[in-house]
Amino acid sequence: MAVSKCSRLSGPLIQELLDSVDNFLFDCDGVIWRGDQAIPGASEVTNLLKKNGKRVFFVTNNSTKTREMYAEKMAKLGFQAKTEEVFGTAYCSAVYLKNIAKLDGKVYLIGGNALSKELQKVGIQTVGSGPDPVSGGQSDWADVPLDPEVKAVVVGFDEHFSYMKLSKALKYLDNPDCLFVGTNTDTRLPLEGGRVVPGTGCLVRAVETAAQRKAQIIGKPSHFMFDCVVSEYGIDPARTVMVGDRLDTDILLGSSCGLKTVLTLTGVSHLIEATAHQESHCPERTGMVPDYYVETIADLLPALQG
Amino acid sequence: MAVSKCSRLSGPLIQELLNSVDNFLFDCDGVIWRGDEAIPGAPEVINLLKKNGKRVFFVTNNSTKTREMYAEKMAKLGFQAKTEEVFGTAYCSAVFLKHIAKLDGKVYLVGGNALSKELQTAGIQTVGFGPDPVFGGQSDWADVPLDPEVKAVVVGFDEHFSYMKLTKALKYLDNPNCLFVGTNTDTRLPLEGGRAVPGTGCLVRAVETVSQRKAQIIGKPSHFMFDCVVSEYGIDPARTVMVGDRLDTDILLGSNCGLKTLLTLTGVSHLDEATAHQESHCPERTGMVPDYYVETIADLLPALQG
Repeated sequence: MAVSKCSRLSGPLIQELLDSVDNFLFDCDGVIWRGDQAIPGASEVTNLLKKNGKRVFFVTNNSTKTREMYAEKMAKLGFQAKTEEVFGTAYCSAVYLKNIAKLDGKVYLIGGNALSKELQKVGIQTVGSGPDPVSGGQSDWADVPLDPEVKAVVVGFDEHFSYMKLSKALKYLDNPDCLFVGTNTDTRLPLEGGRVVPGTGCLVRAVETAAQRKAQIIGKPSHFMFDCVVSEYGIDPARTVMVGDRLDTDILLGSSCGLKTVLTLTGVSHLIEATAHQESHCPERTGMVPDYYVETIADLLPALQG
Repeated sequence: MAVSKCSRLSGPLIQELLNSVDNFLFDCDGVIWRGDEAIPGAPEVINLLKKNGKRVFFVTNNSTKTREMYAEKMAKLGFQAKTEEVFGTAYCSAVFLKHIAKLDGKVYLVGGNALSKELQTAGIQTVGFGPDPVFGGQSDWADVPLDPEVKAVVVGFDEHFSYMKLTKALKYLDNPNCLFVGTNTDTRLPLEGGRAVPGTGCLVRAVETVSQRKAQIIGKPSHFMFDCVVSEYGIDPARTVMVGDRLDTDILLGSNCGLKTLLTLTGVSHLDEATAHQESHCPERTGMVPDYYVETIADLLPALQG
């Protein structure tokens, strides 16, 4: 195993890494797929890892799918994955609200169908999702009626985000007893062909600014999602590797939880950013320096096939 | 004149202040009105100041009205004010783009009717304002067509703010030559009865987050708006007082520009916030300590009427 960080993972180094770990955590967007296209070779990698006796989990900040929807997309793109191996923020937010926060009430939801479903599955009712265009004037916005049973505001990816929703969230969050949860803080969502669209982070930031409160963040780099995997599967961090495309979420999560980390260059972060963090020698930045990097996870194929 | 800061303005101190200044700059929301109601006594204060030979200007971060619309509202509420005495961020943004940035192209506008009108008055065309609900899927958002004549993105108060607008702003701002202007960073807009709705600051923050760029901010505490007043009227900062309700915009602007500063407690900031800044002895916070404070600007009436 390499002593120094940010090493290119190639040749015999790959086999060394494979021998030293039992569990792989893969981010999804920018790592195994982009939008609706699998990264070439990615499904072979995850399938071969499983065939070689490794446990493979998927840990994604993307809140637009339930575990079942993820499993469906994976099957469609050739990945052999079970529903229970996927940990998305829609599912993990529901776990958090039900089991950790022990929420007893409704959720005002700025988010999509998947979040709504995962919350309903654990018995939590939601209000607010879907289009909510503005109506009336300033006075009407300030007086918008609230549902007294709402005890938490949850912000996830929401293509129907609007000023009206921001106003309602502000009113609910004015009550300090109302919980405030954000699925993740990714500022952009990478799609096929290097294109991007705004991420949930922008929406969470808007609501935090209006409410003058910080959201409890479920997604990476918060360790909660790793805790979910551990609580369901009991994995050893020292024998686990996190594979991701974002230094400030995937790699930072891996470092914080004592995992090995591999950066793949098919997504958001660039190698130059990793080396900049490394050369800064700044304590708060070392967590964003990966142990290894690959151009694409398909770089692992020769070692897996051989 | 009081030597120490944060003094209650009352009794003979009021006359001392009146004798030492020729010009008054008033913020509007939370100072002379709340929503559509004048603060009791405020019109009398303004009108008496003018009668007593003081020059009175209005400097507001609120981008939802043109100078003409402000003059109309003032007339309706009993304030004697000329259009040219009002400096709102819609007007000042147009001044900035026309005369400072010398913009040669269109503006992608995340803002309202007033911003659109002031820009048009300055000869700058806008695209984008009004409702813009989401359509299609992620791929459509990433591929939304751009107007090649757009050379700047301006973000002001926009009750039609939406995810679609955030997406378009992101695409325009990906070009580093595209200017990025925000009218102001106020997180909340105070209305009658102590109610508040989300402010432009939340929208600017969302666009800054997605574009990973900082906006050029027109409104207080940036000194640009004071520069606009000076360039049109040539006032002496040493004989000018800024009257406002927000420590981090009005008072900070006043301090930065060498004006006297008066905090009124009818709006956003509380007296204990001012004293906290004062007691911190923190260099970055001293600018937010007002010279004086009043419960309401109507406290000035006895000295003006006597």
